[in-house]
Amino acid sequence: MKTSYRDDIRLFPTRGVMLAYGLLALGALLLPFAAGDYLLSQITFVCINGMVALGLMLLIGFTGQISLGHAAFFAIGAYTGAILQTRGVPFIPAFLAAGLVTGAIGILIGLPALRMRGIYLAMATLAFAFIVEEVIVRWGSVTRGNRGMLVPDPVVFGYKMGSGHGIYYLSLIAFALVTLLIVNILRSRTGRALVAIRDSDVAAECLGINLALFKTAAFAISAAVTGLAGTLYAHKIAYISPEQFSITLSVEFLTMVIIGGLGSLHGAVFGSIFIVMLPQLIVMLKPLLPHKVAELPVLDSVTFGIIIILFVMFEPRGLNGYWVRLKAYCSLFPFYPRGMFRRGKIASADLVKH
Amino acid sequence: MAFFEAHDIAISFGGIKAVDGITFDVEPGQIFTIIGPNGAGKTTIFNLISRIYNPTAGRIMFDGRDITAVPANRIARLGIARTFQNIELFDNANVLDNIMVGRHIHIGTNMLAEMLRLPGVARKEMAARRKAEEIVEFLRLQPYRDARVGSLPYGVRKMVEMGRALAAEPKLLLLDEPSSGLNVEETDEIAAWIRDIRNVLGITVLMVEHDMRLVSAVSDRVMAVHYGRLLALGTPAEVQRDPAVVSAYLGT
Repeated sequence: MKTSYRDDIRLFPTRGVMLAYGLLALGALLLPFAAGDYLLSQITFVCINGMVALGLMLLIGFTGQISLGHAAFFAIGAYTGAILQTRGVPFIPAFLAAGLVTGAIGILIGLPALRMRGIYLAMATLAFAFIVEEVIVRWGSVTRGNRGMLVPDPVVFGYKMGSGHGIYYLSLIAFALVTLLIVNILRSRTGRALVAIRDSDVAAECLGINLALFKTAAFAISAAVTGLAGTLYAHKIAYISPEQFSITLSVEFLTMVIIGGLGSLHGAVFGSIFIVMLPQLIVMLKPLLPHKVAELPVLDSVTFGIIIILFVMFEPRGLNGYWVRLKAYCSLFPFYPRGMFRRGKIASADLVKH
Repeated sequence: MAFFEAHDIAISFGGIKAVDGITFDVEPGQIFTIIGPNGAGKTTIFNLISRIYNPTAGRIMFDGRDITAVPANRIARLGIARTFQNIELFDNANVLDNIMVGRHIHIGTNMLAEMLRLPGVARKEMAARRKAEEIVEFLRLQPYRDARVGSLPYGVRKMVEMGRALAAEPKLLLLDEPSSGLNVEETDEIAAWIRDIRNVLGITVLMVEHDMRLVSAVSDRVMAVHYGRLLALGTPAEVQRDPAVVSAYLGT
């Protein structure tokens, strides 16, 4: 029972929720002792993708600004972290530098965004992604161009972390901290300002919200978080080259936030789990498809496309929509109004809380 | 010097003079209403005051300063808040969060402190929250407090928008057609709220309105405009009797 405003603005609204997150955290910490290498590796990718999804959700889902260029921020983060560490910089300063560099570039990209919206902004960010990919290819003296770069194991406080457990823990901690920072932003003045800009920029401005400042900030934070994830990704796969950061990756990132459910942080995490699992699902389904279809080289991209279309058509609230309904079902069972859980029907107030 | 003063303001859109040299002033504590036929330039005057448009000529003074060149996002800080003719709420947020956005200029937290949730942030959030809850209570919005704004009936959304403007604690409140889309009972209620806003909260009200019953019921002074020009200025009764106003409305 909430009895004061303080109860209402707490991070965890009830003891039960706190307990659930506590158990989740404990499970995540103990996972390496129980799970095999493969599962651990997948969860590492969920954490890394999850950071990108949270950053992109802040920008697209909460501020209403589109970006098709997040693969570029991811690449800049990966290369900044990798280049600094090949030159002997330890992991933590290199990791933070990657965040700062991408954040600064995010500000530069955010500036034209002040004058553009919708499809024009999508085109501008797409162009930015192409430029960055091209720069990485051409700037061979630093990035080794198309030959790619080997990424050294991260060194934290003098300890060398391997690409298995070490990276898992680094990604998990980074993911948890980023989640906390973004939750904190969203539940304060800045977060409300971003949502206000998304829903009505003219009203936001008339209430004293500086559109330029907050839009640019949203770009910067989103880019910085994506850059941090990029460094972790570089360590996880230990070898980076320009073609890993193509437009397809930007579309994958976009898929995470759309399928997860725009305007929901839970959705961002669901989306990243989904995107990590999807290639496995495709592999599993391949034997069921006609041989000619199964061998198509574009099968993955086509599947992404079809899934986005299906979600936009049938469940615009994404995976989070299912989650909200499942929670409502469990708390009301067996006393729920008939038809309440039909598609698209949700107790609307639940959607607002992330 | 007057509390609020528009001096000879004008704006044209591609040769059409939407507002063509209008001068008027509002005294503190007044309820001042702008009336006029459709397309007369009433909302344009509001957009000039909110600084959404730049006047091509003239000067706007408020509370002892020239606000003609102040950026739109500084206007609320100076003490002017507004509502919109077709409601501009944040539809996907709940009522309380909408009103909390109204507190934006009064919550002095910075982004870094918010990210780390430093102790000052929670304290300032609480203070803003208390103010927002006072407004929810004042406007009797408690039943809708946690509801998503987009799902609420039109009349309630009008009240939420008014609440959001009040949350900014303005000295001057601009109401753009507070009765539009409302039925007769709701309009009477709005009249009572407007009086309360002036009498209880002491806020000066500048309003654009079509419903003459509402205008006569609450206004201290009325200005009639037509084709961007001032037609008449005076008490509600004087303006309604004015032959120029009568002919503008009846089209003789």
